[in-house]
Amino acid sequence: MSTTTLEKPAVGAPTKQKVMLCEGNEAAALGVALARPDMVAVYPITPQSSLVEHVAKLIADGRMDADIVDAEGEHSVLSVLQGGALAGARTYTATCGPGLAFMFEPYFRTSGMRLPIVMSIVTRDGITPQCVWGGHQDAMTVREVGWVQIYCETVQEVLDTTVMAFRIAEDHDVMLPVNICLDGNYLSYGTSRVELPEQSDVDAFMGAKDVNWHVALDPMKPMAVDPLTGGSGGKGPATFVRYRKSQCRGMQNALGVIEAVHAEWASRFGRSYAPLVEEYRLDDAEFAIMTLGSMTGAAKDAVDEAREAGRKVGLIKIKTFSPFPVEALMRALSKVRALGVVDRSVGFRWNCGPMYQEVLGVLYRLAREAGTVLPAMSFIGGLAGADITIGHFHRVIDATERLLDGPAPNEPVWLNEND
Amino acid sequence: MGRAYSTIAFDPAKCDGCGDCMMACAQAKTGTSDTARSRIQIVGRGNATKDATEDATENAFELALCRQCADPKCVTVCPAGALAKDGASGVIGWDASKCVDCLLCTVGCAYGGIALEQATGHVAKCDTCDGRPACVPACPKGALTYVTTAKIYNEVGDWEDLFAPGLAGCQGCNTELLMRHTLRRVGPDTVLATPPGCVPGMGSVGFNGTTGTKVPVFHPLLTNTAAMLAGVKRQFKRMGREVTALAIAGDGGASDVGFQSLSGAAERGEQMLFMVVDNEGYMNTGMQRSSCTPYGAWTSTTPIGAGCAAGQPAQGKTQDAKNLPLIMVNHRCAYVATASTAYMEDLYAKLERAIEASKTGFAYVHVYSPCTTGWRFASDQNMEVARKAVETNFVMLWEFTPGEGLNFTRPVDDPLPVTDYLKAMGRFRHLSPAQIEHIQGKVVENAKFVQRFSEQAHGG
Ligand code: SF4
Repeated sequence: MSTTTLEKPAVGAPTKQKVMLCEGNEAAALGVALARPDMVAVYPITPQSSLVEHVAKLIADGRMDADIVDAEGEHSVLSVLQGGALAGARTYTATCGPGLAFMFEPYFRTSGMRLPIVMSIVTRDGITPQCVWGGHQDAMTVREVGWVQIYCETVQEVLDTTVMAFRIAEDHDVMLPVNICLDGNYLSYGTSRVELPEQSDVDAFMGAKDVNWHVALDPMKPMAVDPLTGGSGGKGPATFVRYRKSQCRGMQNALGVIEAVHAEWASRFGRSYAPLVEEYRLDDAEFAIMTLGSMTGAAKDAVDEAREAGRKVGLIKIKTFSPFPVEALMRALSKVRALGVVDRSVGFRWNCGPMYQEVLGVLYRLAREAGTVLPAMSFIGGLAGADITIGHFHRVIDATERLLDGPAPNEPVWLNEND
Repeated sequence: MGRAYSTIAFDPAKCDGCGDCMMACAQAKTGTSDTARSRIQIVGRGNATKDATEDATENAFELALCRQCADPKCVTVCPAGALAKDGASGVIGWDASKCVDCLLCTVGCAYGGIALEQATGHVAKCDTCDGRPACVPACPKGALTYVTTAKIYNEVGDWEDLFAPGLAGCQGCNTELLMRHTLRRVGPDTVLATPPGCVPGMGSVGFNGTTGTKVPVFHPLLTNTAAMLAGVKRQFKRMGREVTALAIAGDGGASDVGFQSLSGAAERGEQMLFMVVDNEGYMNTGMQRSSCTPYGAWTSTTPIGAGCAAGQPAQGKTQDAKNLPLIMVNHRCAYVATASTAYMEDLYAKLERAIEASKTGFAYVHVYSPCTTGWRFASDQNMEVARKAVETNFVMLWEFTPGEGLNFTRPVDDPLPVTDYLKAMGRFRHLSPAQIEHIQGKVVENAKFVQRFSEQAHGG
């Protein structure tokens, strides 16, 4: 890790930020430290391990004042944090793949209890076949569990989004757990230049800590947390329904909060990211490809090359995957006439990528509300740590362009099948 | 609230008429060896010693001793006011300066508790030797016990019951008793975790917005009680607040699916008091087996079969129970104890030590809790079944600390045959002689094992 100091002249932004070279997992750990959690619970798993190692080292070095719990597994990791959050702690952990599967039981409950726990998913493909490499299958598999899920494209974005995640999770209109998804291998170990904000600037951004204002395990205000609810008829099921509805409202509120927090981040630190959906060279595009996570870099290069060859292609990047940014996506999709969606995971039920499935719902809204029927197709690539190269994206662009004149296939295109 | 008092209890089945108690009393009270001057008299002793063949279990002996009655006739009939019951100790005292030697009191007492002492010419009676009766430790058969449970009633009765009245436990269940007493002792600065099981099932954690508990209560997953509670406790510690983290969990979750988080928390020395209420199965969900279910027991998942293909009928659980408290000892917890609601004083003493230990490390208390419903016995028999478990050595009461090793708190040197326990309930009704023999063998083996463990822990 080498560091220099960079003068940062952006208006409203802090004057100095430390510049350093680090991997994505370290950037996540640094982001966590800046957010000043009270408690982190950890259990190592590839490719997340170096992230929790960095966290442990920051605490051991006194650069982070948090209680670290070396739990005996991911199930307990999240359970410890639930207890901590219920007692008023700001909490953090990270996991992936089988670890996420193992913590599923408390994972479901964290969103139900509206606990603002922040957790990085260093995304990993699913087993079996046995695989320890990157892919989005883990995070995609839990997309219906009520956590906010935000995907990062770069190492700098990992750092910045990790800090922002705490603000989003703890917002009174949201009060939901947040996953920051960073691609296993590509972002976890990918090393690049990052700017590290000053602690005092981040403190100003975070404001006062206010974690368990709505639910607490505290002898000063005794309450039963999460009693049994439901049954047949009357008060029980009605309570449950109202509760679920408010959870959904929290998810929808998150869209606006994510935008607001990103805007504030940009004004304070001079770095801006499209909070929900990024439109890249879309304004005069005839068709678009859609990406998620670290693949976006190569995709943008491919789009630039295709543009130089005179082809009217743009790119739509999803940053916030849960809640799904339906309105923002409708605005983006209304600008093009064909779409190719690249997933880094598999939707077993529909024989296509999971993000593609989600987009189909948006395309229906578009057809109903604007009368536009957009042909779209699914690409599945980058499974099990495979690289999706610029060459692969040229194939995606070619195939998507053909939708402008020809029929859209129902079968997905499997990238990396032979290369 | 009224007061309760300690008392000397006599078990005629254990008494062989040796008279050692009388000797001890005479020496303590008169400085002589004249048992005629003892204030405790074993009646019928003369006959027994003459006829050694007489069956001692025929209750050959009776006791003449002051019962320190609540509404004492001797006091009422005394015209001189020489007898009076002390409000604090409950002892009926005799004042020589007031006594007129009329002996009316000896007529008033139905128990022969006060009698004329020829040597002095005055009446004499038991005064419990200021709470340390000389007769009790002198009895070699353990027929005399000084029952001090009243202390719990007097001291604890005024503390707040931290559960609402009317918890919906099964008729005759002792778990509600255990919960109320435990939380009373632990006190209101507590966060309580009650994972799925009988404890939340009877309404402690609530249903549709209600709760039966007056301290903050949480219904963790069956799998994560210890981990979740560790998070709560750590945050309070971080904030500099003293809060007791208490779990009251069933044996199923703790020994099976929740064992990982229990073991992990114990290994890390998380500062909490983890109590397991062991009713030897998943009793509130229909009485299914757990790894704490004993060998041979009927449960709904270890049924009594009509006969399987091999002609060998299924006969209840086919494995022995996991010894969870001993496993916890091997985690080097700050404190581990086994307890029973049939021995409340013992339980209270252990709770006290467990609470203290939980301030620095992991404290574990394993309470054996007979289940009227799942074990198939009448609802008035709970304490009797719990007591029989201890008297047969099926359950052993001990405590462990790393410094003091494992110590028996209620050793049973001469255990009753295990059939005395097995017969007390329906879940063992089907047992074959071979199965009973297996269980008796395991009881003996287990007693030896724990005994050896105790000796080893003491460097023996
Ligand atoms: S003998 Fe003494 S104590 Fe007994 S009734 Fe008479 S006066 Fe009272």
